[in-house]
Amino acid sequence: MSGSMSGDTGTELVWNGRELPPGPDQDAVMKAITGEITGKGFVVGNLDRIVNWARTGSLWPMTFGLACCAVEMIHAYMPRYDLDRMGVIPRASPRQSDVMIVAGTLTNKMAPALRKLYDQMAEPRYVISMGSCANGGGYYHYSYSVVRGCDRIVPVDVYVPGCPPTAEALVYGIMQLQKKIRRTGTILRG
Amino acid sequence: MSETATVSEHTIVNPETRVIEIDSHALNFGPQHPAAHGVLRLILEMDGEVVDRADPHVGLLHRGTEKLMEYRTYIQNIPYFDRLDYVSPMAQEQCYVMAIEKLLGIEAPERAEWIRTLFAEVTRILNHLLNVTSFALDVGATTPSLWGYEVREQLMEFHEAASGARMHANYIRPGGVNRDLPAGLEDRMLAWCDTFPGFLDDMEGLLTGNRIWKQRTVDIGIVTAEEALNWGFSGPNLRASGVPWDLRRSQPYSKYSEVDFDIPVARNGDCYDRYLVRVQEMRESLKIIRQCLTKMKPGPVRVLDNKFTPPNRGEMKRSMEALIHHFKLFTEGFHVPAGATYTAIEAPKGEFAVYLVADGTNKPYRCKIRPTGFAHLQAMDKMAKGHMLADAVSIIGSIDLVFGEIDR
Amino acid sequence: MADTPETAPTEDQVPVVLTPTEALCAAVGGLQRVLSAKIAVGEIVIRTDLASLLELMTVLKDDPRFAFEQVMDICGVDWPQNAERFEVVYNLLSVSLNHRLRVIVTTDGVTPVPSVSHIWAVATWWEREAWDLFGIPFSGQSDLRRILTDYGFVGHPMRKDFPLTGYVEVRYDEERKQVVYEPVKLVQDFRRFDFISPWEGMTTLPGDEKAHREG
Repeated sequence: MSGSMSGDTGTELVWNGRELPPGPDQDAVMKAITGEITGKGFVVGNLDRIVNWARTGSLWPMTFGLACCAVEMIHAYMPRYDLDRMGVIPRASPRQSDVMIVAGTLTNKMAPALRKLYDQMAEPRYVISMGSCANGGGYYHYSYSVVRGCDRIVPVDVYVPGCPPTAEALVYGIMQLQKKIRRTGTILRG
Repeated sequence: MSETATVSEHTIVNPETRVIEIDSHALNFGPQHPAAHGVLRLILEMDGEVVDRADPHVGLLHRGTEKLMEYRTYIQNIPYFDRLDYVSPMAQEQCYVMAIEKLLGIEAPERAEWIRTLFAEVTRILNHLLNVTSFALDVGATTPSLWGYEVREQLMEFHEAASGARMHANYIRPGGVNRDLPAGLEDRMLAWCDTFPGFLDDMEGLLTGNRIWKQRTVDIGIVTAEEALNWGFSGPNLRASGVPWDLRRSQPYSKYSEVDFDIPVARNGDCYDRYLVRVQEMRESLKIIRQCLTKMKPGPVRVLDNKFTPPNRGEMKRSMEALIHHFKLFTEGFHVPAGATYTAIEAPKGEFAVYLVADGTNKPYRCKIRPTGFAHLQAMDKMAKGHMLADAVSIIGSIDLVFGEIDR
Repeated sequence: MADTPETAPTEDQVPVVLTPTEALCAAVGGLQRVLSAKIAVGEIVIRTDLASLLELMTVLKDDPRFAFEQVMDICGVDWPQNAERFEVVYNLLSVSLNHRLRVIVTTDGVTPVPSVSHIWAVATWWEREAWDLFGIPFSGQSDLRRILTDYGFVGHPMRKDFPLTGYVEVRYDEERKQVVYEPVKLVQDFRRFDFISPWEGMTTLPGDEKAHREG
């Protein structure tokens, strides 16, 4: 958990807001914050950090499998890689989801539908382009019916290379997206 | 997601073409629907909650594979076959490679054929696991997929050990397979064979006798034997309708004539029977895998003619000729004598075939891929008619669709 | 074939035993309206013409000697140098008798091919696909919409004269707020090699241009 909830009430909470690895240090911070809340009922923190913490902790992707990569994406949700533990829970509706994983070849016929789904997502929204077909057409680059990269249709935040990327690679891509949100995310729209 | 009421065809972007007003009983199912198994778009004409007519729109994943193949050499085209039905990659490679071998007139060595048979069955289990568990997920049972995908992971480890890739193997090549199995893999697979029946029993315990599962699948989407033949069904869907037809038995290829297995056939042709046939097929596949592993003998895994298979690395470091062969093979490739063949195999989903026309050059003149699901999806209208909307989801799940191969 | 004893007797002493494939080929070849029947790489190929296609197909399905219950595949092949440039290939399968047959007809792309969807229901989508990819028209087919290509697609992509990359590509236009179609613009063209070695294909070697021009 990241966020700079530095209580200024004189408790011995010394924490500069950086992310702490699990361990005694993190436990001390958690304990102090819990103490603050039980003692006074509130903590003071940077709103944007808290918002980013919430955002990165519950990135809900849209279940949107286009082609082969979808199988690896499903594998990432399933027990061995278990994206649920990172708060990544697939949603069936674009209205409920924060991130769209473009998993597979995007064709000309599908492109308007993809854009429509993207437009239906609520801000802030992110796009992960998964696999070489979504990144730039890949193996099907020269085909008459394939969009040469899904970034021609929607703005992409993270590109995951591979054909298909392994489930691990996708998990890494999601972690990169979390990092990006932490670094650049604001509470402003857009 | 599905939208009711006056849906204009949003996928038409060109404003001057046409705007079609579909009446209020038309339901647009997909293309992004969790139960659509990919990018199926179904226009359902509803009468209340009963499906009156189902019009599947396919082609949302049409990647032009057949056209691209005409521009690439025979070897460069093998990976396209992994990416067609991406749930059972190796079976399709095998079909294409068999077609090439037929035209070239070469035969893979004994061990290579055993490896192909072995992995064709591994692929069959991979495919049926995905289908059965996602079918259950569509109907509302989550646990089978949580368990089934772990078994898929174990099988993908075998894929990875043999070919280097989890899914898209590119392992089966004209004249054999890419390389021999790594040391110890056969033992690991044998050990896995002992664990798998336990999983299948557990999974069947969740589904086969389950009252909800049966209510959702029994007597849904019935296809009689005559209808199944008329609609071009093949594979498990045909056998579920009571036609005992399996290419592994009737037109054996690779090593299927030397292994002992049964062909499960069901009688009613409904969703439940299609499920039962698939589960039983997994048990039969396991038998074949065991036999392959015990009957396999060490030996070469590809033909020695370097016009078709690459020389090994060590040789390339020493021999100029080997280096030239390697270079020629992977740039120009081999030339296939003019001719045409329709080569079919029993892929996990049914009859997968390649109609390959060669004109004597190093690229296919025409390669028609006969997808299995194409025919099955076409019968969707027939199967869904008169059923409730929720049953349409069951039917889609049970006929085992993968759009990579349907749309190509 | 199977009947070649070691003594190698003369032809007329050995009774001619046909393999099942040869027997079927002979039987099919004996039908009326079959232009040619031959066996290539172990598969039977027969050719017929458009006028007699429906009649022949009905016989092939209903005659108990053939009993082709299934048409597994219908596809087109484009031979632009021929006058009748399209081949329509039907791959038939008999489940009860366990044999296969390939029927080929040719058409010029204007004359419609009679639809076999009344004989085998599955043919509808195969014919739609052949129409979509090759532009082969089918008569008697009530549902001849495009199937695989994009909504509003122009052209028939599997024809040999259709370029690999097509004519249009899509992009989202930020100003018009919609996905728009534009002519194809490639950063790098598809690289096609002719694979002719310099010793065979290149008759004028670099540096010799002047000499060859004079000669």
